[in-house]
Amino acid sequence: MSEMTYLQAISAGLRDELRADARVLVMGEDVGVFGGAFKVTDGFVDEFGVDRVMDTPLAESAIIGCAVGAAVVGLRPVCEMQFSDFISCGFDQLVNVAGKMHYRQGLAVPIVVRLPSGGGFSGGPFHSQNPEAWFMHSPGIKVVAPATAEDAKGLLCAAIHDPNPVCFMEHKNLYRRVRGEVPDGVYETPFSARVAQPGSDLVVIAYGAMVHVALEAVADLDGASVEVLDLRSLVPLDEEAILDSVARCSKVVVLDEANQMCAAGAQVAALIAERGFEFLDGPVVRVASPDVPIPFSPPLEQAVLPGVERVKEACRELLAY
Amino acid sequence: MSSSPTETAFDVTMPQMGVSVAEGTVVQWRLAVGDRVAANETVCEISTDKIDTEVPAPVSGVLTEVLVAVGETVPVGTVLARIGGDAGSAAAPVPAAPTTEGPAPDPPATEAPAPDPPATEAPAPPQNGRNGATRAGRYSPVVSRIAAEHGIDLSQVTGTGRDGRVRKQDVLAVVNGDAAADPPLHIESPYRPEPAAPAAGALAGSEAAPPAGEGLSRMRRQIGEHMKRSLDTAATCTTWIEVDMSRVERARAPLGLTALAFVARACVATLRQQPALNAWLEGDRYVRHDEVHLGIAVSLGDDGLIVPVVHGAQELSEEGLGARIKDLARRARARELSPDDVRGGTFTITNPGQYGSIMATPIINQPQVAILDLEAVVKRPVVVVDADGNDAIAIRPMTILGLSWDHRALDGVQAAQFLAAVKRHLEGLPAA
Repeated sequence: MSEMTYLQAISAGLRDELRADARVLVMGEDVGVFGGAFKVTDGFVDEFGVDRVMDTPLAESAIIGCAVGAAVVGLRPVCEMQFSDFISCGFDQLVNVAGKMHYRQGLAVPIVVRLPSGGGFSGGPFHSQNPEAWFMHSPGIKVVAPATAEDAKGLLCAAIHDPNPVCFMEHKNLYRRVRGEVPDGVYETPFSARVAQPGSDLVVIAYGAMVHVALEAVADLDGASVEVLDLRSLVPLDEEAILDSVARCSKVVVLDEANQMCAAGAQVAALIAERGFEFLDGPVVRVASPDVPIPFSPPLEQAVLPGVERVKEACRELLAY
Repeated sequence: MSSSPTETAFDVTMPQMGVSVAEGTVVQWRLAVGDRVAANETVCEISTDKIDTEVPAPVSGVLTEVLVAVGETVPVGTVLARIGGDAGSAAAPVPAAPTTEGPAPDPPATEAPAPDPPATEAPAPPQNGRNGATRAGRYSPVVSRIAAEHGIDLSQVTGTGRDGRVRKQDVLAVVNGDAAADPPLHIESPYRPEPAAPAAGALAGSEAAPPAGEGLSRMRRQIGEHMKRSLDTAATCTTWIEVDMSRVERARAPLGLTALAFVARACVATLRQQPALNAWLEGDRYVRHDEVHLGIAVSLGDDGLIVPVVHGAQELSEEGLGARIKDLARRARARELSPDDVRGGTFTITNPGQYGSIMATPIINQPQVAILDLEAVVKRPVVVVDADGNDAIAIRPMTILGLSWDHRALDGVQAAQFLAAVKRHLEGLPAA
């Protein structure tokens, strides 16, 4: 075990996988010599060489397309999108090619697409998005979103081992803000939810950076016992864990950093309505970003993103219901 | 029982509480001579051999005379007290209330609204934030489910949520017994042993022993007289039958009902088939009834019990019976029963199984000829036969129904046939 940041944990996971499995390679814009926009692959090219740490053209479609081909012939590529926002350029290769390969041709596509996502640092409309729901809606793609350093490494290893395309949503705002004890070597974190904090009066369901917002918001809610459920994996969605929490708490706040419409939380709310109805003691409340692009202006951005106060208010309202 | 205006004084009389009631006893005076009294305000409490009730003031004014002392028993119509008119009430001459046949003294219809501001309290405004009307009857899924599982009447649960909404924790508090639970529908039974007279020397100094010489309450005395008279009159036999309550237990939870409602329904249906048990025997006059007026014994706690009657019970479903029984029980405990509510029973059910007792020998409520006793429903291993005819042991919720019947009117075969039919009804089997 050693203490490291969320960012260092992702680096460690990648490095351990590259060392452990010769089929693993890294591809992306400036991941080689420059060491990545966020320095996740700093020093990798020296240790593993240009064949396994490949600088690519500014062409997301080409990156993912090449990775799909490499995966089909037996390699395990990890693609980095410099910002998750840019995945739209590679959308067709991921959604239409990678996601359907198994169904069309029975071929596994074990690729991982790392998607540095999320706002909170004044990145503006092209560098702050949370596009996970796009891929949740596309069959054949798994989507995971760690909130802690330990899960960041464990989920990345598990994603690399998984035979399916996996979108790995790494939250930029957690990179250096979140630290934690991380086990040494390769280990897998299961694609299932985790109770970040147990409680019985209300549950806040969140993932990624919003787990930390939730934990801060519920730390003092007039003595109420509030659970925080960290989904960790959006596809597959840990339905049983969600329903367990709902059965225990009966009141639910679903928290998304993404734009509210059709976000991951919408699926969670729908699941609860369908299978958790008899456990509910109040409306399922959602807190998410309004349906606007993330503003560049720092005060405006803070107004748009779900913050601690908004979550507190939602919890108080629902607790009093 | 007229309130005859004499100058400016009005009489408060012992009301006629039902046809067969000839006298009443003053239990307590709420007001003393000289007190101001508003029309309809309670002047005193009285007790008759049917029910206890309150006597309202016919007019507003000042209590000028008290003529009957506490504990005194007087004939119906006797003047109990007088209310002297003051400027407020004298201005409104009150027509004499309808007399003897009226079941209860109606508040006098005051034609000219009397301006009597000092005495009349404005009706209390509904309290804010309590049991908001907008939410009444609307419960969340989890609250509804827990209530159904535990047979809880949500209208009796105090909500602590917004606008008095019943929240999960409120209904759980009832399940866990945190809340001061409503007393169960019926607990004790008519045959509860009388409080033992303090044996000489026994438990000397114990605080539990009643002080020597304390008399029985009027209600206790009346219950004792009725029960003793029944035993002296009837040739009482008791017959039991075992019933598998699986079907009832399954059916009752979703309806929020107790087993009592189902047993009542089964009895009513069977009594319609066997009117020999739905009858009165007075001397050698034996009268069978078509309609079933079902008496349900309701405990009044330490005070005793009363048997309000569900009239025309044959018209009611399980839900209807459950609602009527609940309403009668509530009003009995609130001392709000009218004389009609306790009159005319043709058959009685008593249900003291709350504490787990399994068998009893109830005493017939005269002049009826039978009384059914429902005790606890208990899970027991029983031998059942599967579809292929093989015997097997299963766990089933079982109960023992006891029927006390009057051998002067009936024979054992009728009692057994009645119980068998009730059993088939409860177990959902076709009639024999």
